[in-house]
Amino acid sequence: MSPDLPPAGVEALRTAVRRAVAAGDRTDARRLRAELRAAERARDAAAPPPEHVPRVPLRERVHRVLALIGVPAAPKLVGAVHHAFLDGPGLSVPRPADLRRAEERAFRSAPDARPYYVCAALTADALTPARGLLALSTWPPETRMIGPRSARTDFLTAAVRVAEHAARLGPDRAERLLRRFAANIPGAAAGGVGTVDAAALAEAARAELAVHAAADARDRARAARRAAARLDAAGLLFGARPAPDRTHGVAR
Amino acid sequence: MTENTADTAPDLDRLRAGAPPRNHDARTIAALTANPGCARRGVLDAAGVDKDAVARHLGFGTPFGQSQFALARGNAFEAQVKADGCAELLTLLRDRLGLAVAEVFYDDLAVEDGESREARHARTRRLLARALDSAEGTLFDHPMLRLDIAGHPAYLEPDVIAFQLGGRFHVVEIKSFAVVDGQAEPEQVAAAARQAAVYVLALRRLVAELGHDPARVAHEIFLVCPEDFSNRPSATPVDVRPQLAVLERQLARLTRVRDILADLPPDLSFALDEGLGDAVRAVGARYAPECVSGCEMAYFCRDEARACGATGVLGRGVRDDLGGVDTVGAALALARGTAEPPAELAETAALLRTAARLRREALGGAA
Repeated sequence: MSPDLPPAGVEALRTAVRRAVAAGDRTDARRLRAELRAAERARDAAAPPPEHVPRVPLRERVHRVLALIGVPAAPKLVGAVHHAFLDGPGLSVPRPADLRRAEERAFRSAPDARPYYVCAALTADALTPARGLLALSTWPPETRMIGPRSARTDFLTAAVRVAEHAARLGPDRAERLLRRFAANIPGAAAGGVGTVDAAALAEAARAELAVHAAADARDRARAARRAAARLDAAGLLFGARPAPDRTHGVAR
Repeated sequence: MTENTADTAPDLDRLRAGAPPRNHDARTIAALTANPGCARRGVLDAAGVDKDAVARHLGFGTPFGQSQFALARGNAFEAQVKADGCAELLTLLRDRLGLAVAEVFYDDLAVEDGESREARHARTRRLLARALDSAEGTLFDHPMLRLDIAGHPAYLEPDVIAFQLGGRFHVVEIKSFAVVDGQAEPEQVAAAARQAAVYVLALRRLVAELGHDPARVAHEIFLVCPEDFSNRPSATPVDVRPQLAVLERQLARLTRVRDILADLPPDLSFALDEGLGDAVRAVGARYAPECVSGCEMAYFCRDEARACGATGVLGRGVRDDLGGVDTVGAALALARGTAEPPAELAETAALLRTAARLRREALGGAA
């Protein structure tokens, strides 16, 4: 084997074969080809057989994450939490509205047939679906209302839940996620540089939460009462339908 | 809508030959201020003609749009700053401006696709009215604003945030160009300031309509850009008063587009057929090399200006120096003394002759 080859790398062997052929070195090429075949066989034998992984449906995975953080969340946060805490393939919800629409169809064709639905969070003022947020039908209605302070309180609540979960599982599970929370919560990054203490993060988030919680709960409860009075069962979960656009596209 | 503009609207509709009006956005409105002397652009924009389609029909389509990479980078940075109820932006505003911890109101005025622009504008009005009355509310994301452009309401869906601090609104514009050591590329900042000025103006009109003092919208905007070579956002205040002044003058001028229309043939239309070239040429343009970066018609106008030897091709500076001398040929004739200048151009002609003499001397008679 020529000295510049990394050990038994299939790609490296392929390159070496090409180089030998190009250089017209037949004996070397023959020897390298044999090595390449052996390396390929070894690789194929080492690879685990494509085992049957039970695929968890997207809605189920989203449900697990939302149940963990307990507040409406954007797909990006859902994906990050899933990556940090739940094993298995990564989770991406590229179009949350599509998922919600599928859930809405299922709900409308057979109401309450499923134990839970991934549904919308509703804007407190218009009761329309809040953009880009996912929620669970099993939550109390006020949790699914988004008032003016709710984006912040939900962010802080998610920080508390994630920090507590991380503390249970061990500190390095969600390092990146915790850092992201800590960077934007005052007093959360009090520890050493580059590390985040889950307990300190939870405490800082709770401290800010205390400032907003009461007013936010009031706004949300009021919106939930209005929603209950105005919307039917499907509307309560998936929001009032917005008025359709009759004009041409929107200038961006 | 004023009486003055109401009766130009049918004329403008005719110019489009039945096509729906193109929407303005802050970019196109800001571009209006770039070349105020251009009647062609004024008329085409006022009528909402699809300039890109016109230029392509004439064989002068712009070969490239905005870079996909730049767009993707811009969107990613914006998403990062706005994630989780603008968590990063709040941190930034708390650090830089001492925003109180309790000021965390965030209203996303955009909704899922499918809602009409009128309904969204109404929602923006409702929430801003509440905020103006109670001084409650911090961040208003994606406000749907409206600005009357030559008698047509243009809806603006800015990717900006209206930010209320101490009862005053500021426009927060998120851009992905880097601010390195407190310095950013002046051209980028100027373009951002022009766009932001459009939003400030639209927001001021809205505040005035709601019965409040338009000065509650500050002329100081906040530009949020990545800091140095990181992805960390930084906020820089930018005073957009000069841009606002230019914009207001331009919009006033646009609504007087009737004066330009009066001089045009009554049956003029920009329908995409064989008469299009003549129709476009019927409206005078004022080409300058800078047009290429801001106007879809630029390549057509450049071709036209080169063909007739207009001085504008050599740049605005040259055109202004040669005030009154429209073509390169005329300028050369004056310089060589082969043409007799009219009285009002005597000074320019003398300068040109001096320049020609200096050039001859410098070249030692070689030219």
